[in-house]
Amino acid sequence: MKRCSNAIFRAGVVGVLAIGLAACGAIPRSDRPAQVESRGADPVPRPEQRTPQIAAYTPPAAPRYARPAPNRAVAVLTARADDQRRAGDLVGATASLERALRIAPDDAILWNRLARVRLDQRRYDLVAQLAAKSNSLADPVDKDLRRANWMLIAAARDGQGDAVGAREARRQAARR
Amino acid sequence: MATKKKGKTSRRVKSRRRASRWNWGRHLVVLIVLAGLVLGGYAIYLSKTVRVKFEGKRWAVPAQIYARPLELFVGAPIGAEQLETELRFLGYRRVDEVSGPGQWSRKGRRFTVHTRDFTFWDGPETGTAIAVDLDANGITRLVRRNSGRALDLFRLEPGLVGSIYPAHRQDRVLVKRADLPGHLVNGLLAVEDRRFFDHKGVDPRGIARALKANIQAGRAVQGGSTLTQQLVKNFLLSPERSLTRKFNEALMALIVESRYSKDEILEAYANEIFLGQEGERAIHGFGLGAHFYFSRPLAELELHETALLVALVKGASFYNPRRHPQRALDRRNLVIDQMEALGMVSGTEAQRAREAQLGVTSRGIAHGHRVPAFVDLVRRQLRRDYREEDLTSEGLQIFSTLEPGGQRQAEQAVHERLRGIEKARGLEAGGLQAAVVVASAQQGEIQALVGGRDARFAGFNRALDAIRPIGSLVKPAVYLTALSRPDRFTLSTRIPDEPVDMTLPGGQRWQPRNYDRQLHGEVALHDGLARSLNLATVHLGLTVGLEAVIDQLEALGVARDIPPYPSLLLGALSLSPLETAQVYQGLASGGFRAPLRAIREVFDADQVPLQRYPLTVRQAADPAAVFLLTRNLVEVTERGTGAGLRRYLPSNLQVAGKTGTTNDLRDSWFAGFSADRVAVAWVGRDDNAPTGLTGSQGALPVWGELMAKIDIRPLRLNAPAGVEYHWIDPEGRLASEACGGAVAYPFIAGSEPRMTSDCVEQRSLGGFLRGLFD
Repeated sequence: MKRCSNAIFRAGVVGVLAIGLAACGAIPRSDRPAQVESRGADPVPRPEQRTPQIAAYTPPAAPRYARPAPNRAVAVLTARADDQRRAGDLVGATASLERALRIAPDDAILWNRLARVRLDQRRYDLVAQLAAKSNSLADPVDKDLRRANWMLIAAARDGQGDAVGAREARRQAARR
Repeated sequence: MATKKKGKTSRRVKSRRRASRWNWGRHLVVLIVLAGLVLGGYAIYLSKTVRVKFEGKRWAVPAQIYARPLELFVGAPIGAEQLETELRFLGYRRVDEVSGPGQWSRKGRRFTVHTRDFTFWDGPETGTAIAVDLDANGITRLVRRNSGRALDLFRLEPGLVGSIYPAHRQDRVLVKRADLPGHLVNGLLAVEDRRFFDHKGVDPRGIARALKANIQAGRAVQGGSTLTQQLVKNFLLSPERSLTRKFNEALMALIVESRYSKDEILEAYANEIFLGQEGERAIHGFGLGAHFYFSRPLAELELHETALLVALVKGASFYNPRRHPQRALDRRNLVIDQMEALGMVSGTEAQRAREAQLGVTSRGIAHGHRVPAFVDLVRRQLRRDYREEDLTSEGLQIFSTLEPGGQRQAEQAVHERLRGIEKARGLEAGGLQAAVVVASAQQGEIQALVGGRDARFAGFNRALDAIRPIGSLVKPAVYLTALSRPDRFTLSTRIPDEPVDMTLPGGQRWQPRNYDRQLHGEVALHDGLARSLNLATVHLGLTVGLEAVIDQLEALGVARDIPPYPSLLLGALSLSPLETAQVYQGLASGGFRAPLRAIREVFDADQVPLQRYPLTVRQAADPAAVFLLTRNLVEVTERGTGAGLRRYLPSNLQVAGKTGTTNDLRDSWFAGFSADRVAVAWVGRDDNAPTGLTGSQGALPVWGELMAKIDIRPLRLNAPAGVEYHWIDPEGRLASEACGGAVAYPFIAGSEPRMTSDCVEQRSLGGFLRGLFD
């Protein structure tokens, strides 16, 4: 019986291999529509691309405008996103900021931070949109945040090769 | 002829005699070789079947869809009732003293919860005992129970809301051998196959013993088939009970035993066994069985509960505990008896288990709480990225955006309001249908989706597939297009509400009328929308241009062809409730459209992240113009066509909304938003016959009841940058708060009226307003 089953085993190998191969290819990992992104890796920067240099927005030490203190949970998630971003885990940082935004969807600073991470990922189109969203939620007197958002838009336009648009955005930033 | 034949026959007889001994031997050898070949070939064929089935079965796991996890943190607006609902939904058990995962207790406003281990998309979280204090506004304190250390943020695990199972309707939750509770395995061995760990697939002694036991008991108490044979039986899908089949079963059992370890066989058995049926859905495996009958994971089940699952092996429909509780109880206790007799459990344990109630949950909660319309949406969104067979067999884990509490409120609002409307208006009971979509305002995450009156029924999904004219729901797009041109239009601009008489391109005459059949002369723009005046809207739309309105609708996410006729301005545009929700999400988010999503993350079966569906936004309108429109839509709900909402919502809970009604009262719509949620409700009939209901009579009550029951944050309407409030008198001139009948309306800076009301002097007004709003 044992020998018989060995023969059977060999005979089954081909079939099993076929199944195995089919199974290996079962989950497609490419050809996603634009709004889906892989969890695995961030896009690798192409060498010829110039990385737009822009500092992360940090609230001024003595703000002219007293911004309400964020919820403790939001503060924790923001700090986590900062750590993840520093460690190069940009997808993780995005997830943490999205989680914070579910708690505080009107928090203009969170939208600004998300735009900042997207800039690291070179998702330029999204950067400009998120920064504009942050501007629309920012308190009218929070000029520092508005300036930071316009600088992000300028960097995104630079990244897209839109020098004229970038100059206009910098002009807007200077006006704030 | 006859002679010839005779001669032939005699020759044959002679030769046969001559070679008879030799031939006999040769035939025997040929026969043996042939039989060997046939048997060998057959065994190879069976072996292949075994491998395909055995290996294949381990993969055929439907995609599991999870709800969103509930986030706990100090300040979270979660009430005691909501927390209880969530814990019940997760299948947590209420106990007096929490002693392990999956349990909770409540003393007054303090909850103690011991969570389960769970791997989230951003890493695993270990089960923890936490204490949560609540007051009327939400969570006031959140600590680890043991150390008392404060927790900044804590997630409850997400509950299962459904799975995407294949055409043969087998649903299962995969369990590993190591996760099978000891008392489950013992119970299984005790009644189904005592010598499982000793035999080689077939157990003659077991058959004899079972026979004897059954004769002694006078009924079937034990089975003679080994677990391996029972497993194999499921591989051979033909149902006949023949000797050939028994032979095949035995042969395959031997093959299985020679190829796989006992643990592998046990694991396959535990995931394969049929344990119940719910409609078209077949419940396979102990993992899903635990959820199906007890709404809890297998690991948390106690002896009397696993004994019931073992009892069901004998016949899941005959011993169905929901239909035949006494039968199931007897069989369960028999399992416990056998375990006691074999010394697998002590006498006291067995006694306690026998005295326990069946403990089966009613259907409709936890994993049984099915949301077919939402699962349908998830499936359609996934099908853009995955093949159907991957969804039904690869064991994908889908983390969705569904909010179980909101879903239930939406289902109940539909159920109760439709019944109420039918009763109050003497309509045929059950004739009305409805659909509801609820999404987060800023992110477009779909939190609830109702596809029809019977939310458990996986039929026509009206939220996605009922494509109906949206009527006046289109009007905000017309007004937004106008308000985006502050040099020409503001909320106080006077517009004509006068007759319209046009000849359409086809030669047809078009003479729309107002709902009240009156003409209102010159009206303020905000009045045109608040009162949903058809004629004022047509004049406004023709002034800004049909093309501009179409562009605005497309920017807000309408992907269908929009007919470029003036009737578009009154809603001659057919959309599904989901598509309509997309348009209103763009308004609810201040002009930033976020594609509506039902999925956050997808994991494979080994909890490796595959991909995420991130938050994206695209500006669809000028945020300042959207702000003015929002102010106008709040007016709709306060003193316009949506004022009926105040029957459901407190007057200080500011929301924006719009009613919609189509020709002959066929479709009743309401769409609107709070600061954090956007929702659309549709009420109509499947046969598209008139319902006799306007938007405020059919869909508004559904929307109002839903929003009253789910937790929403009111709109605050703080003017954003570039927008200023000014007091306006009823004639549309600048006024002051002191002027009778004056109302503060927002204006895009510089667009406020130049004319000053008689009641105020311009200079003093400027100083006053600056003091008020700067």
